[in-house]
Amino acid sequence: MVLISYLNPFSSEGEDIVREKGSIEGIFEVNPELLQLVRDSKSQNISDDSYIPKNYADLALKRVEWYLRRKNDKKYNHNDYAFLINPKIAKFDVISIYTMAQAIGIKFNPKSREGRLLVESQGKLVEDRLEKLAPIERKEVVNNLLNQMITQDNIKWTSMSQLLGSKKINLTDMILDQGDVVLEKEDFLIRFEDKIEGRVPEKMYDLLIGEKIKEMIISRMIMQKTENYLQKVHEMAPKIEAHPTLLEIGEQISEKIKELSYFPGSGGSGGFGGDIKATQLQPDAFPPCIQKTIEGVGSGNRNDAIVLLLTSFLSYARLYPSVFRNEGTSKISDIDPDLQITINEIIPLIFEAADNCNPPLFDDDPQEKLNVIAKLGFGVNKDPELKHEGESKWYTPMSCDKIKIHLSSLCKPDATCKKIGNPLSYYNRKRWELRNSGDKTPSKSSESDSDKD
Amino acid sequence: MFEPSTLEERRRYYRDEWNVNDLPDFIRKDLSKREFGFDHLGRGPNDRYRVFKTPDMLKRFMRYRSPFAAYCSVAFYNKPRKRGEWLKSELVFDVDAKDVPVRSCGCDSVCEICLDEARQIVAGLIDTLKQDLGLKNIHVIYSGRGYHIRILDETAMGLDSEGRSQVLKYVVGAEPPKNKYFMEDESGQKPYELEHFSIPLGYPAVFTKRIKYAILHLNGTEKMEEVNPKLMKDVLKYREMVQKDEWGLFKNKIGPIRYRNLVEGISKLNMGLVDAKVSIDLKRILRMPTSLHSKVSMRCMEVKNIETFDPLKKAVPKFVSERKGY
Ligand code: SF4
Ligand SMILES: [Zn+2]
Repeated sequence: MVLISYLNPFSSEGEDIVREKGSIEGIFEVNPELLQLVRDSKSQNISDDSYIPKNYADLALKRVEWYLRRKNDKKYNHNDYAFLINPKIAKFDVISIYTMAQAIGIKFNPKSREGRLLVESQGKLVEDRLEKLAPIERKEVVNNLLNQMITQDNIKWTSMSQLLGSKKINLTDMILDQGDVVLEKEDFLIRFEDKIEGRVPEKMYDLLIGEKIKEMIISRMIMQKTENYLQKVHEMAPKIEAHPTLLEIGEQISEKIKELSYFPGSGGSGGFGGDIKATQLQPDAFPPCIQKTIEGVGSGNRNDAIVLLLTSFLSYARLYPSVFRNEGTSKISDIDPDLQITINEIIPLIFEAADNCNPPLFDDDPQEKLNVIAKLGFGVNKDPELKHEGESKWYTPMSCDKIKIHLSSLCKPDATCKKIGNPLSYYNRKRWELRNSGDKTPSKSSESDSDKD
Repeated sequence: MFEPSTLEERRRYYRDEWNVNDLPDFIRKDLSKREFGFDHLGRGPNDRYRVFKTPDMLKRFMRYRSPFAAYCSVAFYNKPRKRGEWLKSELVFDVDAKDVPVRSCGCDSVCEICLDEARQIVAGLIDTLKQDLGLKNIHVIYSGRGYHIRILDETAMGLDSEGRSQVLKYVVGAEPPKNKYFMEDESGQKPYELEHFSIPLGYPAVFTKRIKYAILHLNGTEKMEEVNPKLMKDVLKYREMVQKDEWGLFKNKIGPIRYRNLVEGISKLNMGLVDAKVSIDLKRILRMPTSLHSKVSMRCMEVKNIETFDPLKKAVPKFVSERKGY
């Protein structure tokens, strides 16, 4: 039976391991036990020393490397990282993830790309690890994990409000009855057997719930726990002096992310920062909702349309239109290092649209100017400045679904809208369509300075 | 019927008919933790952030000012006067008869028919809120032109906006359930096709009910991008099969791709059954039960039994029945 902490490092077992072994001092020291374990891992590639983590810090970095390469690198080879899927690694792994979380939590915001990477990679690792277990063991582990994480007999959907709130789980993906999330077969049969006609109830259970939903809940809960821990560290950080070792690891993680975010061989589907092509804006490819916003909005929807929708749309469309394809987060300065494009092109457009509103937005509500800057990731400040970057998040454009709820009067879908779920995807698609329909806006020229607009 | 009321009528109402003791318990309790807002001139609530320490103070205010409209917050605050220290909010669904996207009457504001259809929709939503989501402490308020479902279940009052929007999507059926399912340990296999109507439980069952309601109440003029006039015509032609729950036959008549389009289209319409903004807003103010909806001269009131409630019998103030020609 594998250790629970192999999957959930934030279990009490995991906490015990940290308490017992978690001295920051030895973190950079070569650890023979770890070396041996890595070499012994099934199908581990050992042809090159660099494949092998030599200490806890190394192991933390390997996790980052694994996740980014798995996602972005076409030449990714699982055997380079087989040790991560070796259950025997559990104790080392626990120490390494706590180290990572502390290093990141001290230096960065939990919502930074470093923070998100940690959370996402942990979720992915849980999935990969479960997948590699023998079916019987897998079931057993899953049940144990659930029992530990969920103390009541039945999980109430309301106890998952954090997962719902962070969109890690969709309510509609679960089978609910009387407020309970139905997970166990027996329970399912008791509740629903009478209702099912013409089908085998057991099979219905396997199709609708089975182990899938349980595993999904587990991996999402562990992600949430990781995020919460990160948050906790981050909140404590100003109160205690950070250990220099942690700061160093934080720095190394950040470097690693930069280094591995772009793989030339990956055919443009690079991760964080990959495949970024800032190009001139092409207003004829803007979706209807954005066009309407630029023309000006009446008082009801005005603030959200400018501050939330337009600000994020224009900045991403100009700087990082492929953000969704790459699933990563980014900072404006990754693409616009001296903020010249942001200050000279993007912000003026937003302010102009704000002026077109009725009544003009900033006359009424000067505070909203600060909010625009905040939504670009520069905190609540008058101007975007590098030293403030990261104080807030660079907001991605809200989805069409959200727009339909919050700003319904702006959504006047056309044919292209049918194929997309976000105004930014509309923009990408439409540009592509325009290019291919022989429209005389060749992509080359729109990237050069010959733009006549 | 449904005419605005004059200041004189409002005064009469608040003097002779209105009684602060009629306020529902869920409002009287913790009255001082809510924010109140008023509309004195019929131009929207701009007298906001008011707080009443006791029902008696509210009573005096209402008698003296006879406002055009009165509202109170769904949120509870420690310092309601500044909306400070938010504690929790009721979970709310607002079904306004005039905005219901599928109405067989086709009228352009409100009539008896769409008021009653709003009532049926509300009953359906409550059913799901109880059955599936297990929520308790659910109150229904007739708002004067529709219904508010106000949920004071402690487990739900702490939900954030995103959580609320997920609940909303679940209960109205705003997303088609997936129709391809995989068996355990059979990855790589072809998926099983299982339409929502062949799954008699969970969200697919909720969705089936909502779709059924919509199909049976379409009047043919509804605009859905996914549904062209020809498809709409066929849906109306074959809809009695849906009435009889012969979904398989219905889907055959329509064809699988067009069926998917129809389901997509209706799920988007369903989103409009409830005013989503109200549901996800934690600091909303809602019309105060017992107060007068002056635009239509109806009383906003708690509904004890939604199955039998008839606003035209219960929510009409005296001064209206005494109006000439009523
Ligand atoms: S469907 Fe999306 S992109 Fe199209 S107008 Fe509506 S919100 Fe904009
Ligand atoms: Zn009507």
